Amino acid sequence: MKFNKAAAMSAIALASVLALTACSGDGGAKSSGTPAASTSDAAVDYSSLSGTITAGGSSAQANVQQAWTTAFQAQASNVKINYDKSQGSGGGVTNWLNGSYDFAGTDAALSADQFSQAKQTCGPDGGVDIPVYLSGVSIVYKLDGVKKLNLDAKTIASIFSGKITSWNDPAIAALNKGATLPSTPISVVHRSDGSGTTANFTTYLHQQQPSIWTWDAGTTWPNNVGSGQQGGSGVVNTVEAGNGTIGYADQSSIGDATAASVEVGDTGKFVDYSEAAATESLTQSGTIAPQGAGDLTVTIDTTKINNAKAYPIPLLSYDVLCKTFKDSAQGKLTAAYLGFIVSKTGQQIGAKNAGAAPLPESFLSKAAKTLASVK
Amino acid sequence: MDVPADRADSGSADPGSPRRRTAAKVRARPADRIFRFLSTGSAGLIMVILAGVALFLIIKAAPAIAANWSTNPDLAGGTTHGFTSFWSYVGPLIWGTLWSSLIALVLGAPVAIGIALFISHYAPRRLAGALGYLVDLLAAVPSVVFGLWGIFVIRPFIIPFQDWLNQYLGWIPLFSGPVSRTGSTILAGAIVLAVMILPIITSISREIFLQTPRLHEEAALALGSTKWEMVRLAVFPYARSGIVSATLLGLGRALGETMAIALIISPSLIFSVHLITDTKNSQTIAANAALNFPESNPLQRDALIATGLALFIISFGVNFIARWVVARTGSSGRRKEKVVRSLPPSDPTAPAADAADGPVLARRGREQAAEEAEG
Repeated sequence: MKFNKAAAMSAIALASVLALTACSGDGGAKSSGTPAASTSDAAVDYSSLSGTITAGGSSAQANVQQAWTTAFQAQASNVKINYDKSQGSGGGVTNWLNGSYDFAGTDAALSADQFSQAKQTCGPDGGVDIPVYLSGVSIVYKLDGVKKLNLDAKTIASIFSGKITSWNDPAIAALNKGATLPSTPISVVHRSDGSGTTANFTTYLHQQQPSIWTWDAGTTWPNNVGSGQQGGSGVVNTVEAGNGTIGYADQSSIGDATAASVEVGDTGKFVDYSEAAATESLTQSGTIAPQGAGDLTVTIDTTKINNAKAYPIPLLSYDVLCKTFKDSAQGKLTAAYLGFIVSKTGQQIGAKNAGAAPLPESFLSKAAKTLASVK
Repeated sequence: MDVPADRADSGSADPGSPRRRTAAKVRARPADRIFRFLSTGSAGLIMVILAGVALFLIIKAAPAIAANWSTNPDLAGGTTHGFTSFWSYVGPLIWGTLWSSLIALVLGAPVAIGIALFISHYAPRRLAGALGYLVDLLAAVPSVVFGLWGIFVIRPFIIPFQDWLNQYLGWIPLFSGPVSRTGSTILAGAIVLAVMILPIITSISREIFLQTPRLHEEAALALGSTKWEMVRLAVFPYARSGIVSATLLGLGRALGETMAIALIISPSLIFSVHLITDTKNSQTIAANAALNFPESNPLQRDALIATGLALFIISFGVNFIARWVVARTGSSGRRKEKVVRSLPPSDPTAPAADAADGPVLARRGREQAAEEAEG
């Protein structure tokens, strides 16, 4: 009994110590400002803003949102931005539609259905899609002795649909003259979780080779070929750990893995990913098809990409927000942050710190115009 | 520690018994009442929480179970693509959950029981203590760490073993190909699961082995048993129900495991017994929900929650069976009584019965005599 009493006393003591440290920890976090990133946007002064932006969604945007948040807070130290990447695109849009988020990050623009639902959440003005993050889907591979690999859409579609199964297949050899390709079997690696990267990649395959890639585009892997892995990093790790493996991932998550050069259409030109090539890619393939006033939904037709300056598999991600916020101060704050994202400075920060490609100028100016109208 | 037990009993004790008077003296302390309220409240709270969880699952699951899966547009894409009803969707998942857990049990339970036996009966005391701590420590390792360990260690490690299995035992459907070249198989997942369920099975079995009556063991040894025969004759029969319930609790742990499975296995929503392929691994309920929840729309989320309800029912069933097994042949006291009752009338001239059960009977006799004297 004595022991129990002692234990109870020490438990109480421990609890209070924990509570105290928790308090001090919290306070410490609040007071320590984020070290300023070396940026200054002279045009806009954000320093008078204050408040908290609650957002979440696409995990593809996680790194770039982190970079933007840090840079924005360096200028507006009273603003807190919480971007929850664990939600994924679907979860982000769901939470935004039920009113818990100021904006949501999503790899697919709002569907017609969601767009009309947004009118219930936001009032009659509804919501808008703003393209914010551009990257590319890289085809990563690991094949001992092969440092450089050229692939075209037809071969990629055949490999990922299981029609080509060994590396010395004539179709691959024809694209890689001079390279010695081993007879190693091809191990396809794809995502096992629902993913915007999968949606962008299957869109590309579906548009380019509908006769070989007979499945619709979608967020989950449609066929029974290859090994499913969780997350872009899971795919890249598995490709790296094997031999004869091939997979796809958002350019920003491939790390040191080797990526194949992809042929543009039938031009015979093979292009490596670069930020400039991704920007050019969207310039050539993207058309803004507004679902409502100010909306910037982009339809991408990869078959329009036609010269060697553009990378053939773009990946575009949006932020969605209401046009009229219930609380106008909150609306101004959110629009200011997204305005910073689509500013030249914001896009450069994304490129420098998170491997994003800057969006084409024409998209950025339209985005800025839409955001200026957000109330 | 006898004192509090008596106090607790005092409420139902016969009025006028000597114990009642002792209890009355200490009754009026407020701390007792507060503590009693707190502990009763905790016990009640757990029931409320459990009921709340069940209610939440049922309410959220209902729309997805009731929906028409072949025509509903919300269920046409993503994870629910191509399923005609909820039952056809959850069926393979239930199978995958049971199948992976079963393999884990087959691999893990014998090892766990072996460790428990070593700790309780074979190891020198100091080593036994250390080993017990180590095994318990395994329970504290987060499952994501087990998952990463599976990816980086177990997967590459078992690839040659899988090739060997397929080469020599490939005619058994379990080991038929095509063999995975990434190691991302249900076998790899089950090996990691087996390690994860070791601590719970080991620690429960160990406690029960240690409770084997010393007299049974000594009697077996006195009859000339070797140590192994003693374990077989005295320890195992005594601990049988304990081993069963420990194993079932381990099964419960394996059923609900999420992260490790999601990270390691390349999943498909199919009924399959194949162990070493990339494309024919049955997916588990928990991993499927974790992988697909972020990109799902609200109705698909309901469908995933409905699969969670199925898991809830399965886990509940397993735990229920475990408790039932324990209750049926449970506590050592009742078992002893049973043994005594089933004995033939004591015959001092029968040496075997005398040697094995004599001391028990003798002690039992003394206890009865003492009780009669008290009464």
